[in-house]
Amino acid sequence: MKRRKRTEIMIQGNECLARELAESITQKYECLEISAPQYGMTMIKMRESAKNSLFYLGEVLITETKVEIEGRIGIGIVTGMKEDLSRNLAIVDAAYKAQLPETAAWQQPLLDMEQEIARARVREQTQLFETKVSFETMKV
Amino acid sequence: MGYVPVKGGTRAIEASTQRLKYERLKDEEIVEIKTILSSMRGMIDQVMSEASLYSPELAALAIKQATGSMEEAVFLMRAHRSTLPRQYYSQTVEAETMFVERRISASFKDIPGGQLLGATYDYTHRLLDFDLLEEQPNSVQSWLAEYKKQFKNVETAQELVYFPKVVDYLRQEGLFETHEKNNAVPNDVTKKSLQFPSSRSARLQILTRGQTGAVTSLGYASLRGYGQVHPTVGEVRVGRIPIYLEYPNAVEQDSDDEFYIGEIRVTEVESFVPVKVKNDNNEDELDFEIGYGACYGQNETKAIAMSILDQCLEHTDVDFPTHDEEFVLLHIDSVESTGFISHLKMPHYVTFQSKLDSIRQVKKGVQPIES
Repeated sequence: MKRRKRTEIMIQGNECLARELAESITQKYECLEISAPQYGMTMIKMRESAKNSLFYLGEVLITETKVEIEGRIGIGIVTGMKEDLSRNLAIVDAAYKAQLPETAAWQQPLLDMEQEIARARVREQTQLFETKVSFETMKV
Repeated sequence: MGYVPVKGGTRAIEASTQRLKYERLKDEEIVEIKTILSSMRGMIDQVMSEASLYSPELAALAIKQATGSMEEAVFLMRAHRSTLPRQYYSQTVEAETMFVERRISASFKDIPGGQLLGATYDYTHRLLDFDLLEEQPNSVQSWLAEYKKQFKNVETAQELVYFPKVVDYLRQEGLFETHEKNNAVPNDVTKKSLQFPSSRSARLQILTRGQTGAVTSLGYASLRGYGQVHPTVGEVRVGRIPIYLEYPNAVEQDSDDEFYIGEIRVTEVESFVPVKVKNDNNEDELDFEIGYGACYGQNETKAIAMSILDQCLEHTDVDFPTHDEEFVLLHIDSVESTGFISHLKMPHYVTFQSKLDSIRQVKKGVQPIES
């Protein structure tokens, strides 16, 4: 699974999944922490819809970790102050980059979590749709 | 007369700082960060927006430390921001990817996708709710259970709906000018001081991090006649947008290889502003332009006011203060304005004594000596 999709799933879904996947790697392989979880910022570049140009909306706090497993460096980045999740994301990233055999078994749990996230989002949107306005034109 | 260093206030300053802590703690009540996070959403949004740093956790901490003073909380956040490294720039955020929580239009009642009120104070009675004085955890739990129960039998859609922009439909009809995507790298006012005339990107960055009250007041001033912009709100949307990063030092751009790092809640506004333009026969014709506003969190008043000021500053040839970019952009920053005003209470003994000496000389009929 590609990085974009798996990071969406692990960050939007239950954090336990990233922890479980990372633990399955750290139990078997040596994991060198190149850069411990540290706070930093990402500047957000946004497109405005009046002239279709770009501007900077502001910065967002991130937590970033770098680890090395089997000679491959993994990076974990997440918004907010989330040291454990950042570290687990980095381990999973390194595992994919090193093409460790364990990653082959991760496809299904990740896809299951993706479906769970999608269901939760649709449920949330359904609740929000209760506030949708149904206009009726009045006779004057 | 130059500045003269003085000393002697160290003990008083230390005692004052202790007194400040005492004032925060004297009732032996501790407000938890998680309580602020859960119950003070409006304050957190405002602090993040004015600090230009999206972090609900840090904003809640700043609010606690500042005992609810907005200007102090923003100052703390800005100061902390200056200690953090900027590691990355995000991929371009497009509001069409927003998970919309609220979306309304004052221009059309039937907008494609419909009007979604979401959570808003707009239709509430502004009466104090004295029941909140006695609010208890069990009553909160039963209200929540009752609220969630109503959705149990509601049919859930198959997939998520992403809302199109109202303005896109008007552009398709040819009613609004269509602009090609401009991917020019924006100016960053945190890296390079503002220069005049300013670029559009610098203006938008300063407006979005402006003090809510200041941006709102100047937007209001424009409506009242100290400007020439009176828009109709085309669309207000509030929701969560995903943030992606390119893989560091990537040789080839592959969007599948990007990092997703999380979501941020933003408010975005497009205001439709009627303008007169000359047609081919040199006759006045009505046209529309768009004022744009966006800010962190749910802060609709600020975003609407920003859209007014954006439009004002697109037309700087008009002789009104809200169309003067130096007037607007140099006075709306929270830290700059509150900092400069509050410095007036710092010791100015020498300069004031100098002025007094001058007046005394004048009163005595002696010409002051030029120094």
